[in-house]
Amino acid sequence: MRTLLTLVRKDLIGFLRNRAALTLTFVVPIALIFIFGQVFGLNRKDSGPTGIRLAVVNASSEPAAAKLVDALRAEKSFRVITEFINPDQSRRPLTEDDARAQIRDRQLRFAVVIPHDLIAENEFGLHLKILSDPRNEIETQLVNGLLQKTIFSNVPELLGQSLQARAKKFLGDDSLKRFNGTVATAVASAFGGDAAEIQRRIESGDLGLGTLSSTGKPAPKAADPSLRTLAAPPSTPANADGEKKPVDDIFSRLVRIEKEQVVGKDVKSPDATRVIGGQAMMFLLFALSGSAAAFFDEKNSGIFQRLLASPVTRAHLLWSRFIYGVVVGLVQLVVLFFAGQLMFGVDVLGHLGLLLVVSTAAAAACTAFGMFIAAFTPNAQAASGLATLLVLTMSATGGAWFPTALMPEFMQTIGKFTLVYWSMEGFAQVLWAGQSLVQILPTIGILAGIAATVMSLAVWRLNRSKLFE
Amino acid sequence: MLQLRSVTKRYGPLVALDDVSLDIARGEFFGLLGPNGAGKSTLMSLVAGLRTPDAGTLTLDGAALSTRDAATRSALGLVPQSIALYEQLTAEQNLRIFGELYGLRGAELRTRVDEALTAAQLTDRRRDAVRTFSGGMQRRLNLVASLLHRPKLLLCDEPTVGVDPQSRNAIFEYLERRNREGLTIIYSTHYMEEATRLCSRIGIIDHGRIHALGPLDELLTRLPFEEEITFAASPDTAALTAELAAHGETATLNGTNRFRPRADFKLSAFYALAEQHRLPPRLFTQQRPTLEAVFLHLTGRSLRE
Ligand SMILES: Nc1ncnc2c1ncn2[C@@H]1O[C@H](COP(=O)(O)OP(=O)(O)O)[C@@H](O)[C@H]1O
Ligand SMILES: [Mg+2]
Repeated sequence: MRTLLTLVRKDLIGFLRNRAALTLTFVVPIALIFIFGQVFGLNRKDSGPTGIRLAVVNASSEPAAAKLVDALRAEKSFRVITEFINPDQSRRPLTEDDARAQIRDRQLRFAVVIPHDLIAENEFGLHLKILSDPRNEIETQLVNGLLQKTIFSNVPELLGQSLQARAKKFLGDDSLKRFNGTVATAVASAFGGDAAEIQRRIESGDLGLGTLSSTGKPAPKAADPSLRTLAAPPSTPANADGEKKPVDDIFSRLVRIEKEQVVGKDVKSPDATRVIGGQAMMFLLFALSGSAAAFFDEKNSGIFQRLLASPVTRAHLLWSRFIYGVVVGLVQLVVLFFAGQLMFGVDVLGHLGLLLVVSTAAAAACTAFGMFIAAFTPNAQAASGLATLLVLTMSATGGAWFPTALMPEFMQTIGKFTLVYWSMEGFAQVLWAGQSLVQILPTIGILAGIAATVMSLAVWRLNRSKLFE
Repeated sequence: MLQLRSVTKRYGPLVALDDVSLDIARGEFFGLLGPNGAGKSTLMSLVAGLRTPDAGTLTLDGAALSTRDAATRSALGLVPQSIALYEQLTAEQNLRIFGELYGLRGAELRTRVDEALTAAQLTDRRRDAVRTFSGGMQRRLNLVASLLHRPKLLLCDEPTVGVDPQSRNAIFEYLERRNREGLTIIYSTHYMEEATRLCSRIGIIDHGRIHALGPLDELLTRLPFEEEITFAASPDTAALTAELAAHGETATLNGTNRFRPRADFKLSAFYALAEQHRLPPRLFTQQRPTLEAVFLHLTGRSLRE
């Protein structure tokens, strides 16, 4: 045991004296966490990016279209441009062709065109054109999300109007009127209210979505029965408990968009956890595969000969390196998460106990990975080559760079086989979802299982390798 | 003290040690002389217990060296051929770590580390990283680090490679002193000067075999000649060289002719022959043969090939 401790201390002293290693372990990842934090808008108190130039061309005479333009103007993320400025400084409304030309000239990246047939009879949903220069895929996604949010949360009647228009196409004007009337009467008799008023609202498309679709506003009032009737499948009993559910389902997509936009308002943001955990894991993997590759240096320098000629055994060498890896990994993860607390307000202190548990499991898995690389490569160069390849692959598929949900299905499946995925999962469970020890046990179990399996393979292989000759 | 009996070690098809038997007595300063690839390091690693032989036995004071008990480990000190130190760590940190691994603690460890630093003349550099040391300083530290635990037998594997003459001398004097104090030393080298100066007994090793074993004087008397005459190889001396072949061994190496006269060929006869070829005596150097000559005679090749 003393031998182990001496060897671990030796590694730690060496680590503390190695400025390059310290920088790579702590400074670089903290810097990257900060940068990625800015990219994902983690520490802004408003919702997401601001001042994205957005051209808006309104060719529709629908009052709702004008309302949509106003809503876009009101959205902080956008700087809305609706006018074309001639060379002589005179202005005229922007046309779709102007917008296309400007996007092509790279003066603009995004434009929304509201065509005259905003509410088409022959298709469900709104007919909007979004023109973009997808120079930056993430930004494009972001803007699309913002547009959807703005449309649905500010002009919800557009959706209702679209539904009505579509119904009119299938049922015909008279039948639709009759249908609406029947529905309104049924609603009025079931829930009370004035049938004529309800019918008028149904026909205008005002389904009361506006009160639902933006979070933070009051929940829909029971006085809005049309909502329930139309949104709920007929078989669903409209009882008090179930009444919000169907709406949530329909707007789950919308609600999801909301969440992405609110990032940064919420200190327990999954994005902050992901950015910090992701960078931490990636650099930890690099650091630990580097430290395992130091085996080759010790072999070449003859230090292994000196040690093995003393009362030190191979097992001492292997397990001291493992303990060292876990200690460094644990310290690194905790330091980076604390940096995350300082920079983005992630609540680390409040979850310190469980975070230590997850971090230990993650560090053990990373260390085992480093040993595995050293065990199955012939020299330091090969080790660092293989490590780089695997670390980057695991980080990408395991969700260290961006949410796994953005990736194709097969990559998500691959990701689930990486220790990065399970570590990130553990961090999110503890820091974001605030789960208990019992709830995180399966994740800890998987990480421990990965560590044990990979380490066994590494030890088996190292004991047969020429490393110790 | 140390016994090797018919020890053979192979690396795949290559036989690195071939049926080597050797006895080292307590207090000996034993030299293992041979060129690169002769098998010196392999022999050291077997004695140090880093490798196991394919055949044969090694025992230290009767105990098999393959066992890994702490007592046997502590009886041995190995000075690896390369600088086996942690470069990032200071001289003192290195010594403390190696001392602790041999079970030294507290005040005793501190004294031993101080002594070692003094012996290596590194006391004033104790807090500097080994990486910043010169080759000679690193070599000195590499040596004293193997003696912290006061082993009975020290294995020095070419401990002076890449060392300035001053450090080399310091190492020699230190080893000689420790040997006088009772330390048994096995010293491998490809420098015959080192073996000549330091070793009470020498084993000549090549291609994994020990070709000769004995004190320096004894090895020299085994040569069939007592003198060696060297002179520059040139067109002028070519005729003489041809004629000398009938009276002893001749060899040409790096532009130098070596002539080892047979016992019945007197030096006076040699100079008479030289005069016939109109070559003045100042062209010739006459010397007692060296280990180099012994090696050449035994193996047919030079130590520095
Ligand atoms: N680990 C090894 N694997 C294969 N061959 C080796 C190994 N170590 C040494 N050898 C070979 O064994 C022979 C003896 O090597 P070594 O004992 O290092 O010689 P020396 O120390 O006298 O220079 C050399 O031919 C060398 O190439
Ligand atoms: Mg050698």
